Amino acid sequence: MSVVETLLVFVVAPLAVYVFFWAMTYLPGGRKRPGIRYKPGQPWEHEPVWYEPQPENAPTHAAGEGDTQAVGSSLYGETAAIGSGHGSGHGASLDGHGSSAVGSSVIAGTRGATAVSAGTPVPSAGGPLGGARGTW
Amino acid sequence: MTRVLDAEPHDSGTVDTAPNRADQGYDTIFSYRELARLDEALTMSSRETGLRFTLYIGDLGPRTRIRAEELHARGGDPVDSVLLAVSPGQRVIEVVTGASAARRLPDRACALAVLSMTNSFAAGDLVGGIVNGLRQLSDQAGHPHSARRH
Repeated sequence: MSVVETLLVFVVAPLAVYVFFWAMTYLPGGRKRPGIRYKPGQPWEHEPVWYEPQPENAPTHAAGEGDTQAVGSSLYGETAAIGSGHGSGHGASLDGHGSSAVGSSVIAGTRGATAVSAGTPVPSAGGPLGGARGTW
Repeated sequence: MTRVLDAEPHDSGTVDTAPNRADQGYDTIFSYRELARLDEALTMSSRETGLRFTLYIGDLGPRTRIRAEELHARGGDPVDSVLLAVSPGQRVIEVVTGASAARRLPDRACALAVLSMTNSFAAGDLVGGIVNGLRQLSDQAGHPHSARRH
């Protein structure tokens, strides 16, 4: 094995491996990360969002009686009561339009923001509220 | 002859199906992986305890507590629901428990969960803090059957 071969095998090849992994790790654009990176103290300029738990019996039932017959509206049947304003009690949303969203617990923020500011304050029903508060 | 091909693209979503469409970008704030963690934490803690945990992330205005209580009353089933209202811009978190939920989640337990959440938030980990806080709250609340036995 000549000197050149030795250098190639024992120096250049390991260096190439190191450089490859360094580039994959640190060079920008190698890894697209959707979403934001929150740092404490930076302003929060996103629309308010309200996440709620998934309703217990939502996405599994096939289309049947009481579902909307709209062709191609969804793979799963949707209860016809959603559209008429008196959805199931599980899916309460900001604008009172029951969003017992089939398989989705995300409420679009823009609609929520308008609805929150539009309504009048609702007195708390059924006794005192509890809770806690924290800052960081 | 080519007029048929000039059809405008249209959105076939109705009022009900439009919020469920998958081609809208829901991952503007959190990535889908983080959304899945939040979704699982909210859903599982709600199912385990029988309470209704909801999470609000956004600005709470100058009077954060009052705004959080308004939001809590606006959600469905306010007596049994627990609202975690996080305002990252103001660095405030408010936990609001309804009257029935407050019997199973005393304020001390909420304060402890809030403390652990603010620790994570100060380190920049919003989702991890929320998930851990939900875990603490649901552990404290326990199952609805064991709560009913006493």
